[in-house]
Amino acid sequence: MPLSVRELDAEIGDRLSKVPTAVNEYGFDRFGLSPQEARRLLLPAALLYRYYFRVSTDGIDRVPAGRVLLISNHAGQLPFDAAMIGAAMVLEAEPPRIARGMGEYWIPQLPFVSSSAHRMGSMVGTPENCKALLEDEECVMVFPEGVRGMNKTFDQRYKLQRFGTGFMRLALATGTPIVPVGVVGSEEQQPGFARLDSFGKLLGAPALPLTLGFPWLGPLGLLPMPVKYWIGFGEPLRFEGTGHEEDSEIVAHVDRVRAGIDEQLDRGRAQRQGIFSG
Amino acid sequence: MEKVLITGIAGGVGRLLARRLVAETEVCGVDRAPWDARPDKIAMYRVDLRKREFEDVIRTERPTALVHLGFVRDFRGDPGRRHDINVRGTQRVLEHCAAHGVEKVVVVSSGTVYGAQPDNPFFMDEDHPLSASRDYPEIRDLVEVDTVASSFLWKAPEVRTAILRPVHVLGPHVRSMMGEFLRLERPPTVMGFDPVLQVMHEEDVVEAIARALEAGLSGVFNVTGPGEIPLLTAVRETGGRAVPVPEFLLRPALRRLFPWRAVPWPEGAIDFLKYPVTLSGKRFADQTGFEPLFGLRETLRGLRGG
Repeated sequence: MPLSVRELDAEIGDRLSKVPTAVNEYGFDRFGLSPQEARRLLLPAALLYRYYFRVSTDGIDRVPAGRVLLISNHAGQLPFDAAMIGAAMVLEAEPPRIARGMGEYWIPQLPFVSSSAHRMGSMVGTPENCKALLEDEECVMVFPEGVRGMNKTFDQRYKLQRFGTGFMRLALATGTPIVPVGVVGSEEQQPGFARLDSFGKLLGAPALPLTLGFPWLGPLGLLPMPVKYWIGFGEPLRFEGTGHEEDSEIVAHVDRVRAGIDEQLDRGRAQRQGIFSG
Repeated sequence: MEKVLITGIAGGVGRLLARRLVAETEVCGVDRAPWDARPDKIAMYRVDLRKREFEDVIRTERPTALVHLGFVRDFRGDPGRRHDINVRGTQRVLEHCAAHGVEKVVVVSSGTVYGAQPDNPFFMDEDHPLSASRDYPEIRDLVEVDTVASSFLWKAPEVRTAILRPVHVLGPHVRSMMGEFLRLERPPTVMGFDPVLQVMHEEDVVEAIARALEAGLSGVFNVTGPGEIPLLTAVRETGGRAVPVPEFLLRPALRRLFPWRAVPWPEGAIDFLKYPVTLSGKRFADQTGFEPLFGLRETLRGLRGG
């Protein structure tokens, strides 16, 4: 490996050894996360983080220790934003944290994706799983826009789509602080100019996007361009309640989180000089 | 003095349990197979649970408690016969307990009844639906046994009935689905999948049964062990060398080989090599204070005995 890659690998190894997650005598946590095995999987993400997306972060020291929900905007056709937030939490947060991703229901059914996701600490985003992680004082990453965020069209960029509210009920039930996260750059990595909802329904998939690269370049056309990423972490928001409140109360709390994310997105875009240069 | 009757006493868990209990209570047992090396104090009857002869044993021995381990767990026999022994056998056992004033019953079911579904959450509790038979018809009778026992809990509240669902039991004497798999020199795994498993040592499950009996527990209880471990790590620690096979080859292979009984597992078992099935043992631990003595390493290394 070239020297810089070897150095990055050593840095990742060092950071992972400081992650506070409780592991058993074989180095696995209760859900099958292995910080040591995650090292191999993190290297490509860290390379993208340093050299491709050249991520800069703001306010990562605001993420509190113990249980926390990182609630972020979602964009860019493929979840590179999740990988970059995850890499940031390992490389830059003190102490380093492994951000647990809440994935789609079909992840356990795909070979290699399933085993890698579990070794990296991610799993299907069911309320039970999220609650179990938070009760273990873990850092959980949620994108309430879901696929709606990832395949929105370019004219909707940086406009938050509808949020699922499940994360707020879980935050209340477990007393978990919420850190609003704004990712700038993902919207431009693979701009979509149309969303074919009906075509998606036909295939039993989410809406089919038409982007600069897809479907003309095949599946590779969904891969991101080397935009400059900026990730802003807002002040933690703490809400009082049980999680069984009326929808109207929950939506009011969720709106405060949306406002927090919007604030980060505004700051990130204001400081940006160019999409690729930053 | 308490008298415990153990069905399936000649099996791996049965023998260990009998030895564990015989110091504190009177122990007798039934099984179709023999156990000639048993301690003299333990009376044993070679009977079929579904027949009159078993009721005669209850009438004669008048046990105050019963532990039901009398199941056919091997899939290679005739499925109709297995279903009959397991389900009708369990019905008979429970009917006789109610009819003859047995005060405490412990039915040892299995954590596998939840099924290996891709959308299983982690750490399922006892209220989670039992979906095993959906894609794994051979295990249907185990789910029915659990269900029959659960109805008995409601129908005969005068009998304190505990249904235990332990995680995979490993040990030199017990023959369990996962134990037999991990005993293979070259166990086949599904390429690209490495789910976490929960295992427990055979002596710990015996201790858990003893605790349930002592406490006169009533209800359904998951029984968990020292923790979670990915399948491939478990294979390595039990001394095997995993052979990853792509699913599109492994499924048809089992589908063709199992009807000839060339392999002990049908196609449905593959899902247990793909998806995590993890249980929460909190209810049992809270009510009995049970904690496993054997850690993960001892449990895995102890599989082959010695």
